[in-house]
Order: sequence, then C-alpha cells, then structure tokens
Amino acid sequence: MSRENSYVSIRDVGKVYPSPHGEVTALEDINLDIHNHEFVSLLGPSGCGKSTLLKCLAGLEKATKGEILIQDQPVVGPPDDMGVVFQRDILLDWRNILDNVLLITEFRRLDRSKYEDKARALLGRFGLQGFENRHPWELSGGMRQRASICRALLDDPELLLMDEPFGALDAMTRDDLNLELARLWQDTQKTVLFITHSIPEAVFLSDRVVVMSRNPGRIDEVLQVDLPRPRHLSVRESPEFGAYVSHLRQRFAQLGIVHGD
Amino acid sequence: MDWIRKNDKLISVVAVLVVTVLVWEVLCWYFEARDFILPAPSRIIMEWAEAPGYFLKHAGYTLMTTLVGFALAVVLGVAMAVGIVHSVFLDRTLYTLLVALNSVPKVALAPLFVIWMGTGSEPKIAIALMIAIFSIVIDTVLGLRSADSDMINMARAARASKLQILMKIRFPMALASMFAGMKVGISFALIGAIVGEFVAGETGLGHVILLSQGMFDTPRAFVAIVILGIMGTLLFYMVEVAERILLPWHVSQRSAHTH
Ligand SMILES: Nc1ncnc2c1ncn2[C@@H]1O[C@H](COP(=O)(O)OP(=O)(O)OP(=O)(O)O)[C@@H](O)[C@H]1O
Ligand SMILES: [Mg+2]
Repeated sequence: MSRENSYVSIRDVGKVYPSPHGEVTALEDINLDIHNHEFVSLLGPSGCGKSTLLKCLAGLEKATKGEILIQDQPVVGPPDDMGVVFQRDILLDWRNILDNVLLITEFRRLDRSKYEDKARALLGRFGLQGFENRHPWELSGGMRQRASICRALLDDPELLLMDEPFGALDAMTRDDLNLELARLWQDTQKTVLFITHSIPEAVFLSDRVVVMSRNPGRIDEVLQVDLPRPRHLSVRESPEFGAYVSHLRQRFAQLGIVHGD
Repeated sequence: MDWIRKNDKLISVVAVLVVTVLVWEVLCWYFEARDFILPAPSRIIMEWAEAPGYFLKHAGYTLMTTLVGFALAVVLGVAMAVGIVHSVFLDRTLYTLLVALNSVPKVALAPLFVIWMGTGSEPKIAIALMIAIFSIVIDTVLGLRSADSDMINMARAARASKLQILMKIRFPMALASMFAGMKVGISFALIGAIVGEFVAGETGLGHVILLSQGMFDTPRAFVAIVILGIMGTLLFYMVEVAERILLPWHVSQRSAHTH
C-alpha cells in the first residue's frame, strides 16, 4: 500500500463536523503523499479545510473517513516526532522565552538541562539571543513567532506542521522569516507541511504546492516547483518563479476565487 | 514630584477620607448631634482609645473566622471548579445547583447553621465559607473554560497529558478570573462572619455591634464599624497584592492599557 519514501500518507480522508445548523463537510476525498524531506504547501481560500487537514494529521482531530499514515503507522493521537507552529504564536505569557521553548521537556518529562543549550542555540539561530529571559509581551510579533518556531523545533522533530505561521506578520518580517525557514529546511531537510494564503510564499518555499478548493474542501491540483535550491529572495524575480505564480493565480481565478496578493 | 505621581491614587483616597472625616466632625459639632444618634469622629476615636484591648480581641476573632472561611472557600471552591470543568455529570448537577442557589439570599440560611453547629466559631466559619464560595467557584469555572483552544491544541500536539494541561495551561490562564472571584469572595467572607456573629455567640465585632445596640452605645458600634471597614479594605488589598505577585504578566498588561 505505502509508496516508497512516503513519510505521510493521506488516503481518502474526509472530515464532517457536526454543527447546530447541520453537518459541515470540511474535507472530502483527500489523497496526498508527502515524501521524506519534502516541503509541501497547502494553498487555498479561507474555509477550504486546510487547518482541519493539519489537525487530522497532527492527531488533534479524527478524520471521519479514510486514514492517515505516518511512516506506515495510522495516526491515532499526536505523534512523537512532530512539531507544530500555529498562526498565532500562542506563547505562555507567564513564562520567559527560554521556558516557553523548553515547554515540551516538561510535557514529555525530558531532562531539561540536556535541552537548555539546544534551546539557546535555536534562539540564537533565529536572532533571539539576549531575549531568553524576556517575556512574550515584551517582544514584537515577528520575534514571538520565531520563538514559537524554536519551541516546535526543540526536540528536532522529523515532521514539521505549520498553519499559516506568517499570516499575521508584516511583509518585511515575513520575507525574513521565509528566508530563515528556507535555510532551516536546507540545513535540516525536515518533512514540512506548510499552510498559507500567499501564492508567492508557497512557491518560494515548496517542492510541491497543493491547491485546495472550497465547499467541500478538496484537492484541486498539485504543482511541482522545480526552482533550484538553495533559494534566495532574488529567485522571486526570475521568470520561472513568475510563471508558477501566475499559473496558480489563474487556477484560483478559474475556481472563482479572487485572490489578492 | 515623582512620588506624588506614582502614588496619585493613594493620595486621592486619603484626601477624600480626610475631608469626609472633617466635614463629619464639623457637622456634628454645628448641629450638636447627640452621641447615640451620630457620634463625631473624635468621640469614636476616644471610645476606641479607652479600650483598645477589648476591640482587638473581638476584631481578631472576626478576622480569624473570615480568613479560615475564605481559605476553605478557596480550597473547596477551586476543587469543585476543577471537578465541574472535567465532569459533565458535575457540570449538570453541582454547577447548575450552585448557579441557581447563587441568587438566593444566603444570609437567610445563617440561623440554620446555628441549629446544626451550635454557637462556637464553626457555624460562623461555615457561613463565611458558604457566602464566599459561590463567586469563587463560578469565576474559576469561567476561567478554566476560557483557556484558548489553540493553546490547548499546542499542548496536546506536544503530547501533554490532561493533568499537565490543567496545571501548566488552564490554571495559569484561569488565575485572572479566579482572582476576580476571590476579591468578591473575601468581602463576602467578612459579611458571612459578621452575620454569623449577629445570629449567635459572645465574640467578634458583629457581637460588639449587637451588644452596643442593646445599650444604645452608638460610639462603640461605630468603632466596630470603622474597624470592619479597615479590615475589609486590608483583606481586599491582601488578595490584590497576591494577584500582583502571582500574575505579573496580567497586571503589567493591564497597567500598560490604562497608561
Ligand atoms: N470545530 C469545528 N466545528 C464545526 N465546524 C468547523 C470546525 N472547525 C472548522 N469548521 C468548519 O470547517 C471548514 C474548514 O475550516 P478550516 O478551519 O479547516 O478552514 P481553513 O482552510 O483553515 O480556513 P482559514 O484559511 O480561514 O484558516 C469551515 O467551513 C469551518 O467553518
Ligand atoms: Mg486555518
């Protein structure tokens, strides 16, 4: 059943939410394989079920149909080897940045002292050295999101799930973080599922872009992005990059989704 | 100048109190009010100075009753709230009952406690507890439920257990709401203690007031009332100081908004 090299296998997945106004079909017939060390983006309009798919994959919601395998094991709860970054940074206001990053050592009963150097190194890598003892409310939005990325990376998970992590940031901070994430992927070769609304962001970061449509949430198209790596921001000026972006824009236009950016 | 700016709230409170006391004194003197109708502040202070030990003893008793009742209300109330949040059964039964009973004037139940528990300090503590516990349970439940679902998901994704989520996420997030409940609760505990002393017993400031009424000794009643006012204020600030120590992030954000 499982394909070679496929780290995540999503098979015929459907998700129906019960709600007071009748059932909401958030996902239907989702089939997707994510290979080892692959960077895959989910791109789609608001409400097409991107977060739902991520939550099913993270074991936070149960799919109502089909199955999800991670390394051939069915997902029943949050897997061990996974880090998640959400749209909001959701740092704990009562802990300093270092303690926020070290949070999972407490959840998983790991030896904190072994992870402290790692946490500091991660914070350093994301430009947060010197802010270890600050509290989240003393940091800017971009710094907070960097800290929450460090938190997700602390135990060096093989699978990284990111749900619109840069959606709330301004364009400049967003460029910075895109670049840092591209470098991180280059260095660590993690398997990443990345959700975004931004077409250029998806093209810049991904090996493949999965386009979703709405009502119900389905996969419309999977686009392979063959831009050379490592990628720098200047790749966005290249004609190939422009071609991918305009292809995706047209696809959304055909789907009847006006997509501004 | 800096000191004035930092303590502007305190200074305005003191100023209002001083002016009120002065106006009161002048009016009593001007209208020649008789002591048993309305004693002047100077007369109240004299009364207090005549028997400081007597008032101290009764105030100590009331304070003890209030604090024990309040402490029990916090421990029991928080335990009940945790149960309610984690059990649908307790939510349907206990919580529904508590919310319904909250609107009943609980003071009316005070005499029953004397029947059940006698005239010692037990019924007074029980009444203080009963009156204080409602706001603590209700606000703690509210706080525990308000924990943001993204944050819970973040913890679950990191494989936190239910207990860890309760201790490390839900509780800290609920603290602000819990303190709101406790600030109401501490004032209610004092009311409960006084009501208990009104109903039965030979000690406490409530008893002093009742005794003074029998003897038309209004100055003495006023001393008790003034002490109660001071005590209530100090108890309230005690909870607020605890909040400041335990929730620096919350308090700092609040003051950041007001400035
Ligand atoms: N817990 C829930 N209960 C009921 N319906 C839900 C729930 N969560 C999501 N939905 C519905 O499922 C659909 C997909 O939601 P989802 O959050 O996955 O969309 P999304 O693609 O992440 O959107 P966005 O880009 O705005 O974040 C929506 O119609 C939403 O209303
Ligand atoms: Mg979403």
